[in-house]
Amino acid sequence: MKKKLLNRPLKAFTIYALIVLVCSIPMYYFVIDAIWIEELDQHNLIIKQRIEKHFEDEKVNENELAFIFNFWDVLQPGTKLIPIANAKRNSDSVYTVTKGDENDRFRGLLSTIFVNGKSFQLTVETNVEEVDETLLAIALVTFLFFSLMVTGFIILNRKMAKKIWKPFRNTLDKVKKFDLQKNQNIHFEKSDIEEFDELNVELNKLIENNIIAFNRQKTFIENASHELQTPLAVLKSKVEMLMQNEQLSEKQAEIINAIQIPLARVSRINKNLLLLAKIENNQFIETETIELSVLLHENLELLSDYIDAKKLTVKVKLNQQIALVSNQTLMEILLNNLLINAIIHSTENSEILINISGNKITISNSGIAALNHKTIFNRFVVSSTNNTNSGLGLAIAKEICNRYQWNLTYSFVNNYHEFSVKFE
Amino acid sequence: MKILIIEDEKELAKDIADYLSSVGYLCEFAATFSLAIEKIEMYNYDCILLDLMLPGGSGLSILEKLKASKKQDGIIIVSAKNSIEDKVKGLQIGADDYLEKPFNHAELAARIFSVIRRKQFNNANFFEQGNIKINLNAKNVTVNDSILNLTKKEYDLLLFFMGNKNKVISKNALAEHLSGDIADMFDNFDFVYAHVKNLKKKLNEVGCSNIIKTVYGTGYKWDM
Repeated sequence: MKKKLLNRPLKAFTIYALIVLVCSIPMYYFVIDAIWIEELDQHNLIIKQRIEKHFEDEKVNENELAFIFNFWDVLQPGTKLIPIANAKRNSDSVYTVTKGDENDRFRGLLSTIFVNGKSFQLTVETNVEEVDETLLAIALVTFLFFSLMVTGFIILNRKMAKKIWKPFRNTLDKVKKFDLQKNQNIHFEKSDIEEFDELNVELNKLIENNIIAFNRQKTFIENASHELQTPLAVLKSKVEMLMQNEQLSEKQAEIINAIQIPLARVSRINKNLLLLAKIENNQFIETETIELSVLLHENLELLSDYIDAKKLTVKVKLNQQIALVSNQTLMEILLNNLLINAIIHSTENSEILINISGNKITISNSGIAALNHKTIFNRFVVSSTNNTNSGLGLAIAKEICNRYQWNLTYSFVNNYHEFSVKFE
Repeated sequence: MKILIIEDEKELAKDIADYLSSVGYLCEFAATFSLAIEKIEMYNYDCILLDLMLPGGSGLSILEKLKASKKQDGIIIVSAKNSIEDKVKGLQIGADDYLEKPFNHAELAARIFSVIRRKQFNNANFFEQGNIKINLNAKNVTVNDSILNLTKKEYDLLLFFMGNKNKVISKNALAEHLSGDIADMFDNFDFVYAHVKNLKKKLNEVGCSNIIKTVYGTGYKWDM
């Protein structure tokens, strides 16, 4: 499946945000932990100074000191006071320790204080939040924000996509509907977005140039075949005059015959080119209601000599009456071209099947291998080695179908070439 | 029988005239619009061949003039434009037939033959050549008073041959005559041979042997 353009940056943004937020988790942890420990160290120090100050201010005597000692744990929980001998001053040190059943973490201050000239070792320990708990909390908050961000991205993206791409969609729809052969111009809506406006301007230029080139080509083909008609008529006339010559030898007669065949082909191609140009130029405007089966039988009657000459059997299955509003001439040409195509490419003694049903006419003739689907309706694509046909018959049929928005298709089924016209 | 050929392509006009003269018509030319107007105002013709694109004006206005002056001349439009509109318009104004260029001389002669017959007789329309007598209205043929039973195609062929007496007619021209534009799409005209063979046989049976001769390599000839 193809991806939508705006989903690409969304994905990248999301991944980037995820990486940043995941990286931020340990960073937050270290920063918070460091601040915490710094604060606790200060807190411990303050406790120590307060204890020192109390002792100094109160000027406790030995008895009182012993009494205090007994109640020390109650008076100052979280601290320990142990008498030691010969301690040095200012030997404060800090440490972190985990203890207890739940592996609680503590930040401790180990210090020496002097009371009444005696030295004591003072330990102040304060509980610090555990590593995993801190981390978990940070991670939870981070992911909460991350999901908030992603939802926001998606919603914003959708809203923006609709709005931002609207001019683009408009342009695309118009380009899709544009058909060079329909002789229509194209107008894009003005967009306030620079890129789209630029795109529209350039597309307009491109299409205009195409229309000009297409029209030029059409006129050229029409003029060229017009100009060829008269010299061809003269040429044909001269060959015929030669044919009437009484003194003609067999060899000369053969040569004249050999001239006539390609000459007939040239005039055939020329006539067909002219016809194509006329269909493209939207001539043949008059329409009338045509009964398909009636026209089919008329055409088969006209072709009967050619069908008999190849000993072909034509089987017509008529499951539906189709009445079409179209141009009589074009309709005749369409049916004729498909029938002629079937006759020319049939082997002798084979069958041509014609089926009218489901708003569709299918004409099938026997064949050996499938033809190229992509090029079969192109001009001058000749499928067989016999070069009698002009290479334009199917192109003309396609052009007529395009004109009425009918669907002309080719398929190869059970060794039969099938040409179908679906009347919409 | 007088024919006026209004055609600016001199070579073509000359060939048409040569051919038509050899099957018994008297031909005159007009190569420009004004010459054509001059001729049709001064003379009457049995049939006028009219090219639509002429130096000096359109063939259609000549046609309009002819019709306005209530002339009875048969008119066949001969055009390289191959335009359905022109064909329809021409026939509406009153042309008797329309032939696209390039065409066979034999086809042209057959069309002229048919147009002239249609114009000249109205009720009893008979045409005789040798001992063959055709009732053009009833479309039946009698030879020495015995009726010749022909299919539609054989009848068409017979008329075609008779309108091109003593000329070599190519299979191609016969095929085009029998199936019109469709013949353009095929190269195999063997069916012509079958129809000609049947016609020959039927003519033989009533004693007209050897009228249709096969010309080696090119076609047939109605030899009378």
